[in-house]
Amino acid sequence: MAEVVFDQASRIYTPGAKPAVDSLDLTVADGDLVVLVGPSGSGKSTALRMLAGLEPIDAGSVRIDGRDVVDVPSKDRDIAMVFQNYALYPSKTVAENMAFPLKMRGMGKEERAQRVRQAAEMLGLTDFLDRKPKALSGGQRQRVAMGRAIVREPQVFLMDEPLSNLDAKMRVQTRAQIAEMQNRLAVSTVYVTHDQVEAMTMGDKVAVLADGKLQQYATPPELYDRPINSFVAGFIGSPAMNLLDLPRSSSGVTLGGIEIPLPREVSDAAGSRDRLTVGIRPEDWVLESTGSDAGSVVKAVVDVVEELGSESYLYAHLAEDTSTSIVVRGPGRVQVRFGDPIAVRPNPDALHVFDAETGQRLP
Amino acid sequence: MTATMERPAAPETTGGAPMIDRAEGWRRRAPLLPALIFTIIVTQIPFILTLWYSLQSWNLVRPGSQEFVWFSNYADVFADSQFRTVALNTVIMTLGSVLIAVVLGLLLALLLNRQFVGRGVVRTLLITPFLITPVAAALLWKTVLLDPTLGLINFVLTPFGASGTEWISNYPLASVMAALIWQWTPFMMLLLLAGLQSMPTDQLEAARVDGASAWSTFRELTLPHLRRFIELGVVLGTIYLVNIFDQVYMMTQGGPGVASANLPFYIYQRAFLGFDIGQSAAMGVVVVILTLIAANFALRLIFKSFSGEEEAA
Repeated sequence: MAEVVFDQASRIYTPGAKPAVDSLDLTVADGDLVVLVGPSGSGKSTALRMLAGLEPIDAGSVRIDGRDVVDVPSKDRDIAMVFQNYALYPSKTVAENMAFPLKMRGMGKEERAQRVRQAAEMLGLTDFLDRKPKALSGGQRQRVAMGRAIVREPQVFLMDEPLSNLDAKMRVQTRAQIAEMQNRLAVSTVYVTHDQVEAMTMGDKVAVLADGKLQQYATPPELYDRPINSFVAGFIGSPAMNLLDLPRSSSGVTLGGIEIPLPREVSDAAGSRDRLTVGIRPEDWVLESTGSDAGSVVKAVVDVVEELGSESYLYAHLAEDTSTSIVVRGPGRVQVRFGDPIAVRPNPDALHVFDAETGQRLP
Repeated sequence: MTATMERPAAPETTGGAPMIDRAEGWRRRAPLLPALIFTIIVTQIPFILTLWYSLQSWNLVRPGSQEFVWFSNYADVFADSQFRTVALNTVIMTLGSVLIAVVLGLLLALLLNRQFVGRGVVRTLLITPFLITPVAAALLWKTVLLDPTLGLINFVLTPFGASGTEWISNYPLASVMAALIWQWTPFMMLLLLAGLQSMPTDQLEAARVDGASAWSTFRELTLPHLRRFIELGVVLGTIYLVNIFDQVYMMTQGGPGVASANLPFYIYQRAFLGFDIGQSAAMGVVVVILTLIAANFALRLIFKSFSGEEEAA
């Protein structure tokens, strides 16, 4: 149980080049599961490896439970890690794999066996203790890797994309198991993924990284409702938020020939900028009848319809400006097909407005 | 060997495939026949002739002495105490050289598996002994290194009061083995270096996080991973070194007595210096049978290792 603090921590692979992790400030509260999420090359795995002691910390510091670990070797940091490819030891059985960290710490044979048995029961691995990793399925290997981490009872769990090698169904199932187990053990956990669904469903808090920099660190609802910049807005949510570069009008912005009024404080914050990036989530469009008055709706033409059963997504381009594409969430059953005209209206209370240049949220 | 090879499915009996008549089958095999016949001529005919000679008493210096004596040559071979000494020499020379070369090769491979300045140069220098012709290497060891008056070894040891040692006369077997080990260590090193470099890094990182020391990581993870590479090195090295001739011939001529002779050299001596064709043929047959038994076990071992028993978790 411990609090983990990244304090201006940086990793610079080649001097002079852009840091892989740039002055990261992040606090993981005791017992929380924090997800680091971002596209490839965002520095999320590097940040985790810095915490694990597998990458040096070139500037700043990292503290575990108040102790600066910059010069502490991996094995003395009291952490356990689950690797993307599980990194099981192929010559050892499941039981030996799970007991390995205990053996390396000089724990007696009987206590080792008892702890392994407990962990195996928790993970449903009791029947496989004598097998070699090669004789296990992907999901079982993943659980052995988890088991090897939890027998240690470490202060912090580190997980580097632990679900990325599982099939979709297994991934959803294991996702829930990990979240449940983490709650039960109440061990601070740092979890790296590129999958924003994992981030939103598992994290107590989520840190979005891009280009080595922390973009936003917040709870999942806050991340969804108030993305701090257009990168986070576009990254969180599936399908992604519609981000439209729109010209200002007297009281708001103009989209597809209609005027969308902006709330007062947004207008004030926007000042004299003549273009704004406006973000509208797919579910924040209202589908209107195509016969509606031309002045109040945006006309669009459907390109693709994705029917998911409970809802459907319409991918369309604007009738007036064919280079602008939008995604609209509709009800589960829609009558429109490729090439059909639709009319939509954005929900004025759910707009996200960003500076067109910097991408920062306004206000 | 044949036991371990997959027998190609006979075209006539392949299930599902269209039936092929005998003539068509032979027409398809025909292009392979010259190679097969050539192989039979150069390997099997000499062997059968050797079997024939081994049943005869035949000394080349006594013309007309050739007569059929059944298995008395074999009885002589097993009664020959020199043959037993030489057989033991062969085992010591082969296994000793191979095992020491594996250990040294492992140490050098571990060294080369690290990053350091000039690694490329060091690697090239370490491989060089393997590239030298065995005869030249033997000559190098005999004269440049081990010569009692001019040799570098004695020169280096002089300050420690060990000058003038007659290495080749006093330690003939060890001297030949030193030359063999020197030549074969680079081979083992390359093989084991390839093994080390195929070790998944995430396992090593996992071991670091799990708290393993460098020694535990080596013993618990690296060595099991290298096991099949070590086995391959031992088997290949043994197959080659059991037949070694050049170093023995060049450095000691098997002497003094038969102190440093191995089986190939002893058979050569019996056949071409002693001109006793019958007995040397019998020895050859005995050696072939023993080698087949040993090779069978060894090959079974490496085929088992490389069938991927515990590959890639």
